[in-house]
Amino acid sequence: MNLDFTQFIPSMPYILKGILVTLQIVILAGVLGFVLGIILSLLKISHIKILNWIADLYTSIFRGTPLVLQLMLIYYGSPQIIGYQIEPYTAAILSFGLNSGAYISEIIRAGILAVDKGQQEAAMALGVPYGKMMWDIILPQALKNILPALMNEFITLTKESAIVTTIGVMDIMRRSYQVGAENYSFFEPLLIAGLIYYLMVMTLTFLGKALEGRMRRSD
Amino acid sequence: MIKVDNLHKNYGKLEVLKGITTTIQTGEVVAIIGPSGSGKSTFLRCLNLLEAPTSGTILIENQDVTDKKTNIMKVRQNVGMVFQHFHLFPHKTVLQNLTYAPMKVKGLGRDSAEKIAYGLLNQVGLSEKAGEYPTRLSGGQKQRVAIARALAMEPKVMLFDEPTSALDPEMVKEVLEVMKTLANTGMTMAIVTHEMGFAREVADRVLFLDGGVLVEDSPPEEFFANPKSQRAQDFLQKML
Ligand SMILES: Nc1ncnc2c1ncn2[C@@H]1O[C@H](COP(=O)(O)OP(=O)(O)OP(=O)(O)O)[C@@H](O)[C@H]1O
Ligand SMILES: [Mg+2]
Repeated sequence: MNLDFTQFIPSMPYILKGILVTLQIVILAGVLGFVLGIILSLLKISHIKILNWIADLYTSIFRGTPLVLQLMLIYYGSPQIIGYQIEPYTAAILSFGLNSGAYISEIIRAGILAVDKGQQEAAMALGVPYGKMMWDIILPQALKNILPALMNEFITLTKESAIVTTIGVMDIMRRSYQVGAENYSFFEPLLIAGLIYYLMVMTLTFLGKALEGRMRRSD
Repeated sequence: MIKVDNLHKNYGKLEVLKGITTTIQTGEVVAIIGPSGSGKSTFLRCLNLLEAPTSGTILIENQDVTDKKTNIMKVRQNVGMVFQHFHLFPHKTVLQNLTYAPMKVKGLGRDSAEKIAYGLLNQVGLSEKAGEYPTRLSGGQKQRVAIARALAMEPKVMLFDEPTSALDPEMVKEVLEVMKTLANTGMTMAIVTHEMGFAREVADRVLFLDGGVLVEDSPPEEFFANPKSQRAQDFLQKML
């Protein structure tokens, strides 16, 4: 095997700039997915049937179709949906956010159901209204328990984000691919991309563990 | 004062409370006893509407809490409850457990809420635990914090559902002492308990439930010396 990384040294700054693009997409989509996940999970545990139904339908659609299809539907469909062509970057954040919202809502729902029923009763007995009870008592405990699962979802998001390449977002993946095309050699730049993704995932894993440790203070 | 009239509670076809009628006067301490499954917890939980009564009325301080127009949240602020398994908020410190509801529900400022909280922690002998998380406490300490948490809302009535049943024997006394002191301050209390000695000593009245029916309602001296019904006699025989 003959590998020559030296010819790609001049292209490194270009590839590395993709980290920012990828991170921005993952973080914004993660925040969107998290907020959406909380809302959907609350709909799912609500006693109002129609709300359960809406949230379940949403989840089944986003989990039951390929992410790359959702990405393309949002990107190429935007002129017909909202009347103008959105940026690839926007389409990426939207589709990843909407998609991870479905997965995160399932994680949070399970987390809420795993919180001891007595917590809700204790809050109710103190006269705490439903919203405050959920926000101050139930969700913090649920989130603590599901932190590993959430971190996992975030890591998946980071890796899967490489498919935004297909609609032309200039992320790590696309930049590496372009550099490969210019040099008629794809192997090395793709290896470099792989290493970058791996290091990002390792960093996230480490941050997740640190955060978990902090949250376990009360145990 | 709590006035319960012909209270029924069904779970589907299962009739758990079959028309309970009784009055608990202000400042009175009532012990509720009876065999497992007789409806003691259900009765207590109807009083603060953790369970919705199927029919009948409950007046607390002359307010009909079963009336649809009554604000349940407001009612609960006046009725403290202590559970068998404490249910302290594990992600909050002892102090935060006590200040949370007064601040978030009653809108008290932090200073006044903490002042009340420290006073109560002192009262239950746990001032030095204010900054601890509940997992660091023993069962007896947890239950004393739970009592203080309920008292922090300055309720007019306190409900206890087997407050010592989950405790190791050596911790039962410290909790009962706190309750005894509370009873002496004139708090209106309804206590589901299997501690017959405590019921005898502290209660003004004993309610004996069996099969969802209030079988006896009498002063402890009378109840423990001459239970009128055969069912109470059998029950006491097993307990003592
Ligand atoms: N949520 C519920 N759904 C259906 N049945 C219930 C429910 N809660 C209680 N029950 C039933 O109602 C009856 C009375 O229960 P309850 O908990 O009030 O009894 P208890 O006197 O407190 O008993 P214990 O001493 O064991 O605590 C039992 O038969 C119980 O199985
Ligand atoms: Mg019970």
